[in-house]
Amino acid sequence: MKIVKRGSEAAIALYSGEKFRKGLTSLRYRLLGAEIDKGLLFKLFVYVILINVAFIYIKPILYMVTTMVKDAKNILDPTVIWVPRTVFLGHLQQASEMLNYSKSFLISISLASSVAVLQVFSCAIAGYAFARLDFPFKKVWGALLLFTFIMPPQITILPSIMLFKEFGWLNTFLPMVVPAAFGHGLKGAMFVIIYRAFYSTLPKELDEAARMDGAGPFRMFFRVMFPISRSATVVVVLFSFVWNWNDFYFPSLFMFTAENVPLSITLARMAGEMKLAEGAGEITVYAEAIKMAASFLIIMPLLVVYLFAQRWFIEGVERTGLVE
Amino acid sequence: MKWSRKFDSTTIRKLEGSLFIAPWVFGFLVFVAFPLGYSLYMSFHQVKITVNSVNYTFIGLNHYREILIANGSLLYEELIPFLRESAMMIPIILVFSLLVAILLNLRFPGRTLFRVIFFLPVIFSSGQIVQEFIAQGEGSLSIMETLRIDYYLQEYVPGAWAAPIQKVMSSFVLVLWYSGVQILIFLAGRQTLPASVYEASRIDGSGPWNTFWKITLPGLVPYIFLNLMYTVVDLFTFPSNPIVSRVNTSNYGSSSALAWIYFSIILTFVLLTLFIYSRVDKSLSGKR
Repeated sequence: MKIVKRGSEAAIALYSGEKFRKGLTSLRYRLLGAEIDKGLLFKLFVYVILINVAFIYIKPILYMVTTMVKDAKNILDPTVIWVPRTVFLGHLQQASEMLNYSKSFLISISLASSVAVLQVFSCAIAGYAFARLDFPFKKVWGALLLFTFIMPPQITILPSIMLFKEFGWLNTFLPMVVPAAFGHGLKGAMFVIIYRAFYSTLPKELDEAARMDGAGPFRMFFRVMFPISRSATVVVVLFSFVWNWNDFYFPSLFMFTAENVPLSITLARMAGEMKLAEGAGEITVYAEAIKMAASFLIIMPLLVVYLFAQRWFIEGVERTGLVE
Repeated sequence: MKWSRKFDSTTIRKLEGSLFIAPWVFGFLVFVAFPLGYSLYMSFHQVKITVNSVNYTFIGLNHYREILIANGSLLYEELIPFLRESAMMIPIILVFSLLVAILLNLRFPGRTLFRVIFFLPVIFSSGQIVQEFIAQGEGSLSIMETLRIDYYLQEYVPGAWAAPIQKVMSSFVLVLWYSGVQILIFLAGRQTLPASVYEASRIDGSGPWNTFWKITLPGLVPYIFLNLMYTVVDLFTFPSNPIVSRVNTSNYGSSSALAWIYFSIILTFVLLTLFIYSRVDKSLSGKR
């Protein structure tokens, strides 16, 4: 009798232990997951890291936007750090006047977009030739392509200035635009490499089928190859546009005395003017707000373009061999 | 059709190919090769620019000797700290971008939003705007000041390294800002690893930790080196870097010489990277 009782007690204890353990495992499963990367804890960890880093990326933009809408009262008020009490748009207006915004904006956008369009075509053609066509000394040219990629632009900048001076191109947009038409220009080698990587992933049967259907090389490129490289094109267009929009180095050296300059130059000129004014003793509490407003005016078009293009861009990055 | 009678098919193919590559080759010769040769030529000459002519006097290696030996402060005082700084920035950029790319590759709600945010640096980091942010002190992490890390650094790290470490620390956020393209490259590279391999490793009982070290990392080795190369090139050619800003129109001859010296340094680094890569690749493929 006793033994039976003790046995059943033990069974109950065992049973409840089992239940407890089961509960524990299910809890563990929920927290840690069947594998590490499926549990709650891990997800929490991922989110914490991502949100932190995302904050680092967004903070300057937030700072920029909040600073530029502060008026004098908000700037001097020590309790206002992030959120101003009132929204003041005067700095934006002043910055746009100092930047000569409407004119410089048109110049910047026409320069960046014309370079981007030219680079897309010329680099696609060159990349296509490197990936799928045959021509003499292909290996040598391939090595020179890589060489162009790693070569700092500074090494050719002085002779280029002299060359463009000889052509009478200084203080015009031609030094930026014409090299782009030939697959060079700002980071042109990188775009050729992107296209080459993309075209070399396509199957060989594609050429054969098009050739069989009687397409010549040009028709094949423009009707078949270029249209299917949409994902690479999105990446190249965005990079090219953004980098040319932001580029300060080439315009500053090729058109240093020009009247009509892109936004990156006017920003630098404006910063110089403000520094001079500061040196002359004109200390103003608005300086920072105006600078931030100017930065915002320059970044904003890029943000709009990026928000518009991001879906295809991210998809494109995943699908192209952006890399070999 | 006439062509096909005159030439065989390989010749035609070569002609077509040449036609496609011709613009690029032309551009290369005019906009890259010619200026390159010319700057090499100038670096051996004293260049005097007058109103309507340019005079060259051959002075041999004088410019190089001036920069490398006689007046070394121009190069070394700026180059050495910069190299130290890059030596620290490059691993940080690589590790950080790899980590972020791996995280962004996971599936979780809100992934698209995070991707949009994480690609922002690609847009901004190339511009003047970043300079503005540095000037505003947006580059630093306030935790560095709170923990008084700079004080400990000065206490315990040899002086030559303390300054660059401090500089990297104080512009740590900026380092993260420079890793936009690297994240993209890693993310694209991660996509090329086939899902079937991961499935197989899971069936064989490998945990995620193990999988990362045994599959993801070896698979990403080419991309790590690609990124290493890209980062080196990017850091070294950034217009605001100290040496590059020395290349200006004030003295064509010695600026060209400086550019060539600088380029040979970059080339050494890139070739070193490629050499290490070929070694690593060989040893990895031997294992497989």
